[in-house]
Amino acid sequence: MERTDSILRMLKTNYASSQDNRDEFTWRPVLKIFGSFEDDESITKIEKSSRKVLHYIVLDRTNPNSVFNMVTESRENARGVQDNITKELWQSLNEFYHVVREERLEYSLQFEDPITVLDGLIKQCMLYYGVADITMFRGEGLSFMNIGKYLERATQSAGVLDIKFSDNSYDLDKESDTTYWKNLLLSVSGYALYLKRYRSGFEVRNIIDQILFNVDFPRSVLYSLNQLQKYTERLRDDKNTEGFSQLDFQIGKLRSKVLYSDVQSVSRVGLHHFLTEISADFAQIGVTLNQYYFAYS
Amino acid sequence: MTSDLFGNYPISPSIWDEMYDEERIRPQYQDVYNFLLNIPGDDLSKKEELAKRLFMSQGITFTVYSSGEGVEKIFPFDIIPRIITASEWSFIERGITQRLKALNLFLKDVYNQQFILKDGIVPSDLIYSCPHYLREMQGVQVPYDIYVHIAGIDLIRDSDGTFYVLEDNLRTPSGVSYMIENREITKRIFPDLIPQNQVRPVTQYPSILYKNLMELSPRQINSPNIVLLTPGIFNSAYFEHTTLARLMGIELVESRDLVVENHKVYMKTTGGLEQIDVIYRRVDDEYLDPLVFNPESVLGVSGILSAYRKGNVAIVNAIGNGVADDKAVYVYVPEMIRYYLNEEPILKNVPTYQLGKPDEQEHVLKNINKMVVKKTNESGGYGMLMGHASSEKEIEDYKKEILKDPRNFIAQPTISLSTTPCYINGKVQPRRIDLRPFALCGPSGIEIVPGGLTRVALKEGSLVVNSSQGGGSKDTWVLSV
Repeated sequence: MERTDSILRMLKTNYASSQDNRDEFTWRPVLKIFGSFEDDESITKIEKSSRKVLHYIVLDRTNPNSVFNMVTESRENARGVQDNITKELWQSLNEFYHVVREERLEYSLQFEDPITVLDGLIKQCMLYYGVADITMFRGEGLSFMNIGKYLERATQSAGVLDIKFSDNSYDLDKESDTTYWKNLLLSVSGYALYLKRYRSGFEVRNIIDQILFNVDFPRSVLYSLNQLQKYTERLRDDKNTEGFSQLDFQIGKLRSKVLYSDVQSVSRVGLHHFLTEISADFAQIGVTLNQYYFAYS
Repeated sequence: MTSDLFGNYPISPSIWDEMYDEERIRPQYQDVYNFLLNIPGDDLSKKEELAKRLFMSQGITFTVYSSGEGVEKIFPFDIIPRIITASEWSFIERGITQRLKALNLFLKDVYNQQFILKDGIVPSDLIYSCPHYLREMQGVQVPYDIYVHIAGIDLIRDSDGTFYVLEDNLRTPSGVSYMIENREITKRIFPDLIPQNQVRPVTQYPSILYKNLMELSPRQINSPNIVLLTPGIFNSAYFEHTTLARLMGIELVESRDLVVENHKVYMKTTGGLEQIDVIYRRVDDEYLDPLVFNPESVLGVSGILSAYRKGNVAIVNAIGNGVADDKAVYVYVPEMIRYYLNEEPILKNVPTYQLGKPDEQEHVLKNINKMVVKKTNESGGYGMLMGHASSEKEIEDYKKEILKDPRNFIAQPTISLSTTPCYINGKVQPRRIDLRPFALCGPSGIEIVPGGLTRVALKEGSLVVNSSQGGGSKDTWVLSV
C-alpha cells in the first residue's frame, strides 16, 4: 500500500509537469523507479507518451508493480489475515480493489482528466491509512503493518533520490532547472516543508538533507528509521528472542549510520554509493523479518 | 453541432478580434479552434462544470457576506484561453520594461531632488495636489532605489490591434494568483493542449518574487525574515494573499502580529519576538501606519514608517507610489520616458484630456458622448462615466461633479477594446478583454512573467472588465514560437 501511495503521488506530479513543457519532459526516471522493464528499449518506446505511461503504471496487468496488481495483491493478503485486521480495514481495501477494477477508470485515464482519476485513487490510499490508524488495536498486527510501511517508504525515498540524481551524474555542484527539483519535492509531498525550512532557493544539498536526514519530514529516511525502531521495539518479548535481537541489531546499526552522517560525509563517499548501501541494508532487514517472523519452516 | 458552436460569431471591422482576422482564423488560434471544433456534444459544458468544481474545491473563492452567513463565490472564469504570440509578447515586454524603468526613476526624483518638476516637464501643482503624494516620503532612501517592485500594467488593444497602456497599477496590484491558478485549471480541463501549443510557463512567478524580496533585506544575514502583511480574512483578495504566502513559504501576518520597537519591526511568535526584514504588504498606504496616516486604521502597524525611514525594514511596494499611477500623472508618462531615458516610448498611452486644463475641459464637455470620464484616484471601475452609454441626466449630474474639482477628472475617447472568443451559454461569443501582465523589479533587474491576467467583460457589449463590475478572467497563453 505504501508503494501504491508513492507511485500515485509521483504520477500526479509528473503528469502535471508534463503539461508544462512537453519537449524536455520525459517519464524515464519514473519508469526506472516503478517499472519492471527488461531492457532500455521498452522504456524509450513509451517515455514520451503520458497516457501510455499512465496506463502502464496504473492499470497494466502485465506489470507486477502496477497499481492494479499491487492493490489486488494487498487485498489477497488481507483476505488471508482477516482475523488479524479489523473489518473496517478489510472493507477499505476491498473497496479500493473494486475501484481499480472499474472499467470506467481506463477510459477516464485515457481520454479525460487524469488528475481527477489519480486524486480519486490517492484518496483511497489516505482512507486506508486513516482506517488503519483509528481502528487497528495497538498489537502485533499493527506493528508489523507499520514496520512494512516504513521499510517500504525509506526504500522508496532512497530510490527516488538515487534515480533523480543519476540524471545529474551525482554532481552536486551542477546547476539545474528549478522545476526539476520542485517536482521531486512535490512528488514526495515535501515542497511546503522545504520552502519553510531551507528558504534559500533550490540548493541540491538541502534537498538531499531533507529527504535523508530531516526528522520532521515524514518521508525522510531517518524519520522512517526512527519509526521502524519504535515499532520493532514493540515486538520485544520472551518467545522469539533470536529474531528480535537480529532485527533490532540491524535496524539500530543502520539508524546510527544514517544518524551520524550528513550531506558532507555522504558526498565524500559518493551519494550513489551511500544510497546503494542503505538500500541493501533495508533489503536485508526485510529478509531478516521474513526469516524469523514469517517463515513456515 | 460544430457550426452551432461558432455559429453567428459576429465579426465587426471596427473591433480587433484576437481569433478572427476577418473570416480567417489567426494562426496562433488554429490549434485551439480545431480542438474546440472536434469536441463532441456537450463535453465543453462538462469542462466548464469541471472548472467550476475545481475552483470551488481548491477554495479559489471570495466570500460574500449577507444576513450573517458567508457565501463562497468564484471569480468567473472563461475556459477558452487568450493567446498572445511570441512577437506580440516581446513587444509588450520591451514596452513595459521601459515604462517601469521610467516610473521608478520618476518616483525617486519626485521624492528627492524633483528635477522633473524644476525642468517644467511635469507641473508641480499636479503632484502636490495628488492625494497619493506623501510628503512623509520626501527624502527617504529606499533600498536599491526601487519603488515599484511589483507592477500590473493594464493594456488594451484598439481596432487596428495596437496596444495601449490603459493604466499603471503601482501600489498593490492584485490578480496574480489568478494568473497562476487559471493555468492550473486549464491544464486539467484541456489535457495536452498546453504542451502542444508550446505555451510558456508562469509558475516561476513566486520564486522570482521571493528571490527579489530576499535581496531587499537590509540585514545581511543568511535567512532574512520575510512576511506578507494582509488586511485579513475579510479582504476580497485574501485568497491571493494566502496563495502567495504558501507558494513562497513566507509567513502571512496581520497587523496584530507585528509590533515596532526601537524603530525595528518584530513579529510575535511562540518563541518570542523575531525581527522582520522585508514586508510584502497588501495594505494600502493610508492604513499602513496609524501614527502617520489614518489614525483610525486597525490594519496597520504603529511606527512602521519610522522603521522604514531608518532603513531597518524593506517595504514592498514602496510607500507613496500612488503619485505615479494617478490618472492625471499618467498623461506625462511618455514625457518621463523621454526625459529620463532619452528614448521614444514603445507602448502608447491612450489619448487623455485633463479636465484641470480649461481648453481640454471645454473639448471634453462638448464631446462627452464619445468620452469615458474617470476620477483620477479611483480604481476598480468606480466613479466613471461612459459617455456613449449614459442618459442625459447622468451626464448632467456628472458634469456638476466635474466642475466642483476638475483636477480630479480625466477623459479618454471611448476605445473599442479587442474581443476574444468566450464560451457563454453553450455558444462561443466575442467578449471585450484587456490584459494585465505582472512585472517584477528587483536589484538584479526587471522580469516579466510571460502571461498575465486577461480580464473579460462578460456582459454582451460591455466595455468594463473590472471584477467588481461583473468581469471575469481567462487563462493567458504566451507562445514560445
